[in-house]
Amino acid sequence: MKLAWQNILHDRARFLATLLGVSFAAFLMVFQGSLLVGFLQAASRLVDASDFDIWITARGVEAFEFGAPMESRVREMAAGVPGVVETGRACVAFSVYRKPNGKQQVVAVVGGDSNLGGRFPVPDLTQKADDRSPDSVLYDASDRDAIEVAALPTAVEINGHRANIEHEIRGFGGFLGVPVLFTSYRNAVRYIGFRPEDGMYVLLRVDKGYSVHEVQENLRRRLPEVDVLTREEFAHKSRMYWVIKTGAGSAILTAGVLGFLIGLVVVSQTIYANTMENIEEYATLKALGASQAFVVRIVLMQSLICGAAGSILGLLAVIPAVNYARSLIPWIHTSSWLPAMMIVLSLIMCSLASLASVRSALTVDPGRVFRA
Amino acid sequence: MPDQFLGLENARVSFGKGDAQVRALRGVSIGFERGALSLVMGPSGSGKTTLLSLLGCLLSPDEGTVFVDGIATEKLSESERTVLRCKKISFVFQAFRLLHSLTAIDNVALGLEIRENKRSGRMATARELLIRLGLEHKLDHGPNDLSPGEKQRVAIARALAGDPPILLADEPTASLDAEAGRNICRILREQVDQNGRTVVVVSHDPRWREFADRTITLRDGQIEQEEQVKGA
Repeated sequence: MKLAWQNILHDRARFLATLLGVSFAAFLMVFQGSLLVGFLQAASRLVDASDFDIWITARGVEAFEFGAPMESRVREMAAGVPGVVETGRACVAFSVYRKPNGKQQVVAVVGGDSNLGGRFPVPDLTQKADDRSPDSVLYDASDRDAIEVAALPTAVEINGHRANIEHEIRGFGGFLGVPVLFTSYRNAVRYIGFRPEDGMYVLLRVDKGYSVHEVQENLRRRLPEVDVLTREEFAHKSRMYWVIKTGAGSAILTAGVLGFLIGLVVVSQTIYANTMENIEEYATLKALGASQAFVVRIVLMQSLICGAAGSILGLLAVIPAVNYARSLIPWIHTSSWLPAMMIVLSLIMCSLASLASVRSALTVDPGRVFRA
Repeated sequence: MPDQFLGLENARVSFGKGDAQVRALRGVSIGFERGALSLVMGPSGSGKTTLLSLLGCLLSPDEGTVFVDGIATEKLSESERTVLRCKKISFVFQAFRLLHSLTAIDNVALGLEIRENKRSGRMATARELLIRLGLEHKLDHGPNDLSPGEKQRVAIARALAGDPPILLADEPTASLDAEAGRNICRILREQVDQNGRTVVVVSHDPRWREFADRTITLRDGQIEQEEQVKGA
């Protein structure tokens, strides 16, 4: 397949333009993919972080960030359903945070019981309660500048209540545009102004001997005024809300698809121009006895070379770009499968782009070789 | 037809329709013997190239039969004709038709790649062919760095790659000066004498007469004259 390489390298300027086009497409696909994946993960991060099986929310709650109060009896009734072995509570609300320097800032306060699960950022606080004050509050490293804490611990105020910022965590940066503070459920309801017995989210752990879906159905029958969702269902609902209903995900996805289309057009145009420029040579190859498969292989190989080289260039450019973007968009996330998927997508894109060229090369009349 | 190794039987070919129709061949029957160099001559429009296209399985006759190694090709599918061409027939063109992005040796190796699947020894065979044609110093030169005579020798080396028994040449000396043209005539003659190939040359060039075993003259799509002229 030296011919495929040589055909490409023979016109270096065109090859360079193709590489730029494909690498731009690959860059866009990975960057937008990282935004989308990160956005999806961030949209349900706290729900995913709990290891409870069922979430009960007020009717119509679309996402974790928009919780609404429920009556305290919901938790009591849920606890009595067969199969439910443990309950927990979580809440979220926007509050006014007074920085150490006296300035005010709107923040989201997330509270949770200590039993919600090892990955939920709150239990860590209460499990080591002996070491910390009861007002202990955590923040994500990405919000460090926004909350302006110079040293830990620092005394601050949340909705006029004294609080202690004590610990920095990672991986829970929000996408709401305001800092997120994590604390115990008890503290959170105090800051927010809830009654301690009220609940916003009631989480249930189901005994291993019971089917989660059967318990869910049972709960739905007993508590028709609230939504009873499995953890996966609530996580999915949250993601769909942010990604689909707000249109944010569509915008990100559209840019990614645009990247794919740009790459498709650039490679298609280049390979087609290259094929038409060499159409006499394809006629010669066919006259010499080259099979259809041989001709297809040459055209396809040219496309795939452009696709592979452009993808690698695009990847090399996107890694530092995503790293830089992470300082501005903490939730952006490049999954390990994303670059691999992008390379596969680029190769598919280049294969599609070569279709018109393959058709031209296959249909050229070998009899034209005798025309001088 | 005494030997149906390569030939036409009552072949008719026309192009276009209605008033614009051109009857390129009008019922031509001719056989080409194994191991002979046949020269096809005739004025422009006499049907020489059409005849070569039929023999090379690049065109099917409207009527009549084309034989290649005893096989009637008009019954074959396009892909079967391609396979037959790949195994039995090679071409030398007036315009050389070397692949511009490849060096001389790569052009010849490509001929081998098309005709033989095996990868090993491909470059060695290509080198050997070019050396045999006096191009040992031009192996890595691109077509643009070669003289017309050298280009045609590379094209012949490519045509010989894979050892096809039939060589069809279309005006192979038309673009060459006298000395280079004569050299090409000698090379193709050697292919007949030393390798027993069947060579059909279409040419206006009278120099070929002294190298040919037989001359066929076409006029208006019909055979006007046939003569045995071997003088080489």
